[in-house]
Amino acid sequence: MEELDLKFVDQTVDRVGTGAEKVLEILQALQTHYGYLPTEALQRVCELTEIAPATITGVSTFYDQFRHRPAGRHIIHVCVGTACHVKGADQVYDEFLRYLSIPDGEDTDAQKLFTVEKIACLGCCTLAPAVQIDDVTYGHLTRETVPKVLNDFLKHADARAAHHRKRRRRWKAGAVGELRVGLGSCCVARGSGRLNEALDKALAETGVKVPVKRVGCVGMCHQTPLLEVVLPNGESSLYARVQPEDAKAIVLRHFGARGPVRKVRTKVSGVLDRLLTDENSEPVTRYSIHVRDRAVSDFLGHQIHIATEHCGHIDPTDLDEYLAHGGFQALQKSLREFGPEDVIAQIERSGLRGRGGAGFPTHLKWSAVRAQEAEVKYVVCNGDEGDPGAFMDRMLMESYPYRILEGMVIAARCVGAKEGYLYIRAEYPLAISRVNEAIEKCAERGFLGDNIMGSDFSLRLKIVAGAGAFVCGEETALMASIEGRRGMPKLRPPYPAVKGLWSRPTLINNVETYAAVSWILRNGADAYAAIGTDKSKGTKVFALAGKVARGGLIEVPMGTSIRQIVDEIGGGVAGGLRFKAVQVGGPSGGCIPVGSDNLSVDYESLTAAGAMMGSGGLVVLDETDCMVDIARYFLQFTQNQSCGKCTFCRIGTRRMLDILDRLCAGQGKADDLDELQHLAEMIKKGSLCGLGKTAPNPVLSTLRYFREEYEAHIQKRCPAGKCKALITYSITDDCIGCTICAQHCPTGAIEMKPYEKHEIDPNKCVRCGTCKSVCPADAVRVE
Amino acid sequence: MPRITIDGREVEVDAGATILDAARKLDIEIPTMCYLRSHEATTSCMVCVVKVAGGNGLVPACGTPVRDGMQVENASEEVLDARRSALELLLSDHVGDCVGPCVMGCPAHMDIPQMIRQIAAGRLSDAIATVKQDIALPAVLGRICPAPCENVCRRAQHDQAVSICLLKRHVADVDLSSDGPYTPKCATPKGKRVAIIGAGPAGLAAAYYLQQEGFECVVVDEHDEPGGMLRYGVSESELPHDILKAEIAQIEKLGVRFRLGIRVGKAISMEEVRKQFDAVFVAVGELKEGDAETLQFAAADKIRVDGATYATDLPGVFAGGDVVRRRRMTVRAVADGKEAARSIAQYLTGQEVVGPEKRFNSRMGKLAESEMPVFLQSASLEPRTKPFGIASTFSMDEARAESLRCLRCDCRKPDACLLRQYAQAYGARQNRYKADRRFFVQRTQHPDVIYEPGKCIDCGICIQIASEAGEALGLTFVGRGFDVRVAVPFDGTLADGLRVAAERCVAACPTGALAFKDGREPSSP
Repeated sequence: MEELDLKFVDQTVDRVGTGAEKVLEILQALQTHYGYLPTEALQRVCELTEIAPATITGVSTFYDQFRHRPAGRHIIHVCVGTACHVKGADQVYDEFLRYLSIPDGEDTDAQKLFTVEKIACLGCCTLAPAVQIDDVTYGHLTRETVPKVLNDFLKHADARAAHHRKRRRRWKAGAVGELRVGLGSCCVARGSGRLNEALDKALAETGVKVPVKRVGCVGMCHQTPLLEVVLPNGESSLYARVQPEDAKAIVLRHFGARGPVRKVRTKVSGVLDRLLTDENSEPVTRYSIHVRDRAVSDFLGHQIHIATEHCGHIDPTDLDEYLAHGGFQALQKSLREFGPEDVIAQIERSGLRGRGGAGFPTHLKWSAVRAQEAEVKYVVCNGDEGDPGAFMDRMLMESYPYRILEGMVIAARCVGAKEGYLYIRAEYPLAISRVNEAIEKCAERGFLGDNIMGSDFSLRLKIVAGAGAFVCGEETALMASIEGRRGMPKLRPPYPAVKGLWSRPTLINNVETYAAVSWILRNGADAYAAIGTDKSKGTKVFALAGKVARGGLIEVPMGTSIRQIVDEIGGGVAGGLRFKAVQVGGPSGGCIPVGSDNLSVDYESLTAAGAMMGSGGLVVLDETDCMVDIARYFLQFTQNQSCGKCTFCRIGTRRMLDILDRLCAGQGKADDLDELQHLAEMIKKGSLCGLGKTAPNPVLSTLRYFREEYEAHIQKRCPAGKCKALITYSITDDCIGCTICAQHCPTGAIEMKPYEKHEIDPNKCVRCGTCKSVCPADAVRVE
Repeated sequence: MPRITIDGREVEVDAGATILDAARKLDIEIPTMCYLRSHEATTSCMVCVVKVAGGNGLVPACGTPVRDGMQVENASEEVLDARRSALELLLSDHVGDCVGPCVMGCPAHMDIPQMIRQIAAGRLSDAIATVKQDIALPAVLGRICPAPCENVCRRAQHDQAVSICLLKRHVADVDLSSDGPYTPKCATPKGKRVAIIGAGPAGLAAAYYLQQEGFECVVVDEHDEPGGMLRYGVSESELPHDILKAEIAQIEKLGVRFRLGIRVGKAISMEEVRKQFDAVFVAVGELKEGDAETLQFAAADKIRVDGATYATDLPGVFAGGDVVRRRRMTVRAVADGKEAARSIAQYLTGQEVVGPEKRFNSRMGKLAESEMPVFLQSASLEPRTKPFGIASTFSMDEARAESLRCLRCDCRKPDACLLRQYAQAYGARQNRYKADRRFFVQRTQHPDVIYEPGKCIDCGICIQIASEAGEALGLTFVGRGFDVRVAVPFDGTLADGLRVAAERCVAACPTGALAFKDGREPSSP
């Protein structure tokens, strides 16, 4: 074996530092460079730093991001989050393995070009099933499109590198109008990036001098790529699902070509286009959507933008624009007009509760930290949004980083912290880079660092990137991770407010919580408290995904009903299928069945119904979703993400999963449901942290509302037609012998027999559902 | 100083004390496995959970600080159920046998692996003591026992079972022919007398153990010589009379008295026997017609007894051996005698009569193909030794060679293991959560210590100790969640990882995961 070049290790340690808390950063740098973590490199790190071998081994094997075996040149992460799961992520994963001829038990192809891995949740739920290859995201994968995606990736790899190097041109906004393109992670995955390039090209060709502005997420994820054309007089037109080739036409529709030569050229090329192409080029108006359109107004109309204030208007990292829209005014007020006690009193009056999931009254946390007598205190932002099916925090960090920072500075001053961290999960690279940029700009302009805004208050913030562990969203685990240890929770009390990061008093709040602070201080606590219900004030950002027609991110007042969210805002279930339930709160939550859907969305109502607000993921399920499978899916997730410390979670959730696996495989026993119930109660009572305590919730909730489905499984039936072991695919007499199914079957289970009725070999059939989806005669039956 | 109550009993403790500290002050026992004294609690095993009034769920006593006025429930059904569940979950992921299958296969549960280890170490005087703890007539049985232990010996899955029966015979023979054959100490006489009717294997065994407990035993038999079926049923070529005599002499040496040629029901009535003695053990062998009535029982071809205690319907009268069930297996009769002796002793000392304690036993079941090589690491690969020389008797060398074939598949810490203790105390069932078990793994590269990850409960105590001892490599958790295992960093061997802290780790490990290879007990930390 060739000698490993360890120079990079030395360089990294020189750059990053030798402290024990640097371990994650060092490991991430090594992983990026070598593609995995060679043992010799790890040993060298121990030689050069304070990090012990036991620590580096423990940490590098705890997090999903790290590999100890060499990988292929590119890594394919197949998202298996909730929305992707219900849309067939498993099929996509299997197809990648099959197409790349990756043998059983391995994850890399023979040419070592691609490594295929499952990843917990990319947060691109409206693009489900989603896949990330290196740092490029693709959405709406099917078995069919797998080869296309791979080819596209390889083709554009070089082009992408070039585009990133080009600097973005800056235009002054205002009197000439604007072309606004949303460029969040999933917008880009649906092609907004290429639309952006096409617009630049179109502007160059036509000579139109209108700036293309990158804006934050609008939330209408089902309509991306979105292009908003703002005319000089302020009127705006909205275009949805715009393809790059239509960029020029849209530009010309609103802004004529400039200069006689260009005008002629444009006219000529337009004529030629029409002559030479086969299709009738329809006017691009087919893309235009009006804010008065039902679909749009329903989606946007019910929303109140607090955390997402100025949604779709401002450039995420443009500090001047933020300032022009009221940015840092709240901070100014809190530094000059209100004292810390006053600010906390306002937070109390507003009724703000932690938006991370538990809903703990924010003012109590702030007061508790403030009350500690200590030289050193910390403020931490929990950006480890790990719930599969939740992507609100990602959106907030990508689109409104300044707002979050402002909230943190205000909070830090109230509690007396001079240092802080934003813990952002590894799967959100764009969020990390935007927040980083925002921090740098703030520091340059005096909104962070020493003497903020001319006051005597100073605060330094750093980003710590997670490395792939859902449990690190738990406060004490998160702090352990920052300290450079395995992310294993600790018993509370003592609470972080008293003994947190490095045993110092620490304030730790969720992204969305911080994002609400600025609005509250600017508009007044009473204005915030006027929204929402008695006990749950203000708004909540939800990520609506799954089988819904209009998926996306929405911010609605607390107290809105589930039905309103799913039907009115989300447009109901897609594809004409029946609405079955909504999964609320991710793996810690539960499902609300169709009969209970006028349930009000607030902390108390959801908990009483057996669900949980959680971080805000709402996954819509239809009649083809099996509730036992959904429960098993969530339990698989929490089981996989368990830190392994306490008996009830580590072993208990596994035993529950064993039972669910058997149920879905048709090997259920009569007393399984009672055993499931008993285990669930034990785990809830005896687990150390929130992950374990809430892991049984999806099971308990589906048992409560869908017990008959469980009982059917014991009798070896899956009423929804989902569980592979319990269903069979067969072809009916409606078959017209077109052979399309045989052509698409990935395992060759259908013999091609032109003009004859086709048959599925049950021994080869893997129940992928492809034949059913391609059959033109609807002749495939599942039972 | 905060005051709290545990199960209604009040106690005052220092500020910062935990519920566990408070319980210890009250002498209330709360089970703990992952707790290391004078260290911060790990709160991993959750066996110490208690309920705090007004709280949500249960909390680990080891790590929960007390608050003034706290009311703790330690003995409620809810708490016991939770502890039992925690133990059952741990057991569902526990790979290993507490005792070898041979021990369970032997009706008398003789500690066969221990005997074999003692033979291997050349300590035959210890070996005979081990044998006689459960088997009163080893030289006899070494000649006529069908060896059910060998039928379940795991070694047979590879080549042939270990020659357990001959090994035991070797130990017994060497002892009998030595200058000072093994004579156990007897307790001070308690002033109670036991009549044992029948000098067959059951009766002899009962006498052997009861006399040791300090009860005056008189064995009554209608024949002129003691031995019952052993003397009058088995051929002399199979069981030479002088061996039988020598073995019985060892029993007599303890002070047991024999009254031979006397038939109860003829020379002396059962009623009279019951008057003269404080307890009676009926071990007369198979009943013939009319026998039962002479012994004051209803007419039948066997005597009915309680399965656990061997007690009959008549107060103070116990029965065992073939009179209870026709098995014609000496080792079963000998086992009956030993077990009945336990019940009789309880009866005579005024305790509740429950019979011998049934100890919890974890079972691994049949070995997978990949697991046999793991065990063979520590065993001789030779085939079963055939005794050369004198027919069917091992020489010293042959015995030693055969003893090395034992796979040592029992646990090296069966008595120190807290998981076993608590499983017993809480009545935990190992197979409540049926699952495919992990593969059995052993790390044997340390000279003294053996590590079996399948028994590890991930408490992390060894990791803490290694780190505090300043080990360069030490131990660490590898992985996350269900598959977390303890290992040495950088794939090092146990010897690399534990250069100075091995003994402390073995002592602190709450299960048999970390143990000394030779099974010796570590000196307390």
